[in-house]
Amino acid sequence: MVLVLALGDLHIPHRAADLPPKFKSMLVPGKIQHIICTGNLCIKEVQDYLKTLCPDLHITRGEYDEDTRYPETKTLTIGQFKLGLCHGHQVIPWGDLDSLAMLQRQLDVDILVTGHTHQFTAYKHEAGVVINPGSATGAYSSITYDVNPSFVLMDIDGLRVVIYVYELIDGEVKVDKIDFKKTPATTHSAH
Amino acid sequence: MAKERMPDWLNSSLWSTTPSVDDRLHRFSLSPTTTTTTAAAAVSEPIVQPTVPVSPPAAASRPQYTVTSQKYEFRDPIDKNSNNNSNDNDQNASPSGVSPDDISRQAQLLAELSKKVVNFRELRRIASQGIPDGAGIRSTVWKLLLGYLPPDRLQWSSELAKKRSEYKQFKEELLMNPTEITRKLEKSAVDDHSKSESSGLLSRSQVTHGEHPLSLGESSIWNQFFQDTEIIEQIDRDVKRTHPDMQFFSGDLPLAKSNQDALKDILIVFAKLNPGIRYVQGMNEILAPLFYVFRNDPDEEMAAAAEADSFFCFVELLSGFRDHFCKQLDNSTVGIRSTISRLSQFLKEHDEELWRHLEITTKVNPQFYAFRWITLLLTQEFNFADSLHIWDTLLSDPEGPLETLLRVCCAMLILVRRRLLAGDFTSNLKLLQNYPSSNISHLLYVANKLRSQASN
Repeated sequence: MVLVLALGDLHIPHRAADLPPKFKSMLVPGKIQHIICTGNLCIKEVQDYLKTLCPDLHITRGEYDEDTRYPETKTLTIGQFKLGLCHGHQVIPWGDLDSLAMLQRQLDVDILVTGHTHQFTAYKHEAGVVINPGSATGAYSSITYDVNPSFVLMDIDGLRVVIYVYELIDGEVKVDKIDFKKTPATTHSAH
Repeated sequence: MAKERMPDWLNSSLWSTTPSVDDRLHRFSLSPTTTTTTAAAAVSEPIVQPTVPVSPPAAASRPQYTVTSQKYEFRDPIDKNSNNNSNDNDQNASPSGVSPDDISRQAQLLAELSKKVVNFRELRRIASQGIPDGAGIRSTVWKLLLGYLPPDRLQWSSELAKKRSEYKQFKEELLMNPTEITRKLEKSAVDDHSKSESSGLLSRSQVTHGEHPLSLGESSIWNQFFQDTEIIEQIDRDVKRTHPDMQFFSGDLPLAKSNQDALKDILIVFAKLNPGIRYVQGMNEILAPLFYVFRNDPDEEMAAAAEADSFFCFVELLSGFRDHFCKQLDNSTVGIRSTISRLSQFLKEHDEELWRHLEITTKVNPQFYAFRWITLLLTQEFNFADSLHIWDTLLSDPEGPLETLLRVCCAMLILVRRRLLAGDFTSNLKLLQNYPSSNISHLLYVANKLRSQASN
């Protein structure tokens, strides 16, 4: 039962001052085992804050990040799942499933987490999952101003992952969940 | 009646040092005497005559508790004088561990246990003299004394089966993590329909009852799980520290690991079932002897179910002492402070001089030493084997474990009275917090004498 927090595109301080208070009250240290961040934090203070939530923090570089040392992509294995992380501005067209699927095959991961579009999406593609946690602060994106703050919490348990989607809609936190089960056999034969 | 001076029987050299021989309790008269004077006469008189190979009272070091061939000569006269209420004939304790007294007690206990309906009074009487270590007798006797096994032998197997399955159920319900709970609640959630499409949007579904991992709601299973995590961590830490010197509990062997896991599970289940008291540091020390005794039962079936049995016996044992662990009750009439003051009062009744010296002259607040004695039922004051012996008496005494405990604590104080009277705050505190190892049978004998002396 491993809890993994996926969030990104906070754009603090340029486009947003802070996480919404309702999100902040929920994110307390001690509950989450890993944090993966798609990028565009943008400053070190945000990284420090995320580090207080959980010491195991993974970040990839977004185009506005002030720290240039973050990698472009990152992969990690949690339980039975391989996760891939990338900001997503490198993958064009932005937010396109097929292009992201290419990246997923390239990184050879079961769950690919990207951002940049500031819109939550969750796709299933060929025995893998592509998730976009959206923007945790609701900052405007290159595409649109109409952004709801959102982030994703994954509960990885064996071959199953339950993806909880937290969105702030009209000032209220709405939680949905998505169930996904990984097929245990070889996952890369084209169906 | 309040004694102004020390009673005669207390004044004998018998109490100033601990005998270094394995005393048999029943060698001294255990029959309750109606007046103190007769008891004093019975004991003090024979002591005066023979040469007693006792190290002088001034000797600071206590002779270690060893079973040697060195015997007290005066024991023989006492045997002839007092009425022996045991069936023993043999006077001499053999140097080896198992003496004829042990064997006869073992025989008595086995006879008692094999009866169809166990006579509790008889059982308590024999058990209070000490239970021999072999043949799994202690395990069965403790279970009977704690009310886990019914007196009627025929019901044992059904009772045991019932209780063990109950425990298994507790474990299944309470030790599940929230992921499994949510999965169980919605069995039909993950269907195969999602497998039909190889790509496309994943369907989102509603979260039931607002149950999500970051939920801050009081009734949320996730929130409760995280709150329990603190307690579980505390339990884990304490279990790892239980009896670090014993291979059974700590060490690298898988045996130790599985024992620790069992202790942990028991304490976690207890904490979850008792939200009022949860887990308090020290409960692991009370559980440890129970589990040890039950696990080392030579009967395989009993040993395998040691965890479940320990759980119920632990609950039963703790029920008399629960209030000591509840912080809110500290200052109430049932809390630990009141028990400590009872001990103090007890000491005052039996040995006013010592009481005065401790509390008023040297200002040794009984809380400094008695707290650990009482809450942990003396498990930390003596070595493991001795504490098992003390527990035999605690559990078998018809007055109840708490009363017996107070008497034993009072006896502990009285036994070192010479050193206490001679010491100041620092030395007294040091002595009481590191109680010297002593002859346990002797200690229990004194404690028993306090009962017959109790002024009511």
